[in-house]
Amino acid sequence: MGRSLKKGPFVDEKLYRKVEKQSEGGRRTPIKTWARACTIVPEFVGHTFQVHNGRVFMDVFITEDMVGHKLGEFSATRTFRGHTNKKEGIRSGR
Amino acid sequence: MPRIAGNDVPDRKKILYALQYIHGIGPKFAADLLAEAQIDGDVRANELTEQQIAQINQIIDTNYIVEGGLRRQVQQNIQRLRDIRAYRGERHRRGLPVHGQRTRCNARTRKGRKKTVAGKKGVKG
Repeated sequence: MGRSLKKGPFVDEKLYRKVEKQSEGGRRTPIKTWARACTIVPEFVGHTFQVHNGRVFMDVFITEDMVGHKLGEFSATRTFRGHTNKKEGIRSGR
Repeated sequence: MPRIAGNDVPDRKKILYALQYIHGIGPKFAADLLAEAQIDGDVRANELTEQQIAQINQIIDTNYIVEGGLRRQVQQNIQRLRDIRAYRGERHRRGLPVHGQRTRCNARTRKGRKKTVAGKKGVKG
């Protein structure tokens, strides 16, 4: 089910303030964040985030197309490189 | 055989149902469309006058996206998800279910025919 329109999109307050501050200052360094549930709003475009995936921070550069998605969608939480090959006993692919 | 939005539309069915053979037109759009054109849905497709067919065509052209155009749009939406490297795009790329379904078993529609793995639980030999 979608989110109620009354509330508007969920945007992490603290993260939003940080982005604003950066936009004013002009210097754009990657912002570390755990707020995977935060919706990407137009103000985020052109910024780089480091989105935590439970283990490491993944670099996510925001483009216009990403607006409306959540930050977490761009930082995969699982690594699956294929099943083991029984004969050789190694993982195929990468 | 009336030509509506491409070549489709079977002859001997009621127009309400004949219209639904067009990709992108289902029960609701077919009913809406006929109401707008003020055509009785129970008329057979081959009994429509040229004028009525033209009218239906015109309404489809202006208000609906059907057939090739619709397929292209769907593909573009998927392509966008792939291009921005979103999770959903990744699932499309790998041919796995996109909406969070389980994949431990089932999910055969997306994954295709079973690929049997020797030595796995439940497989003999």
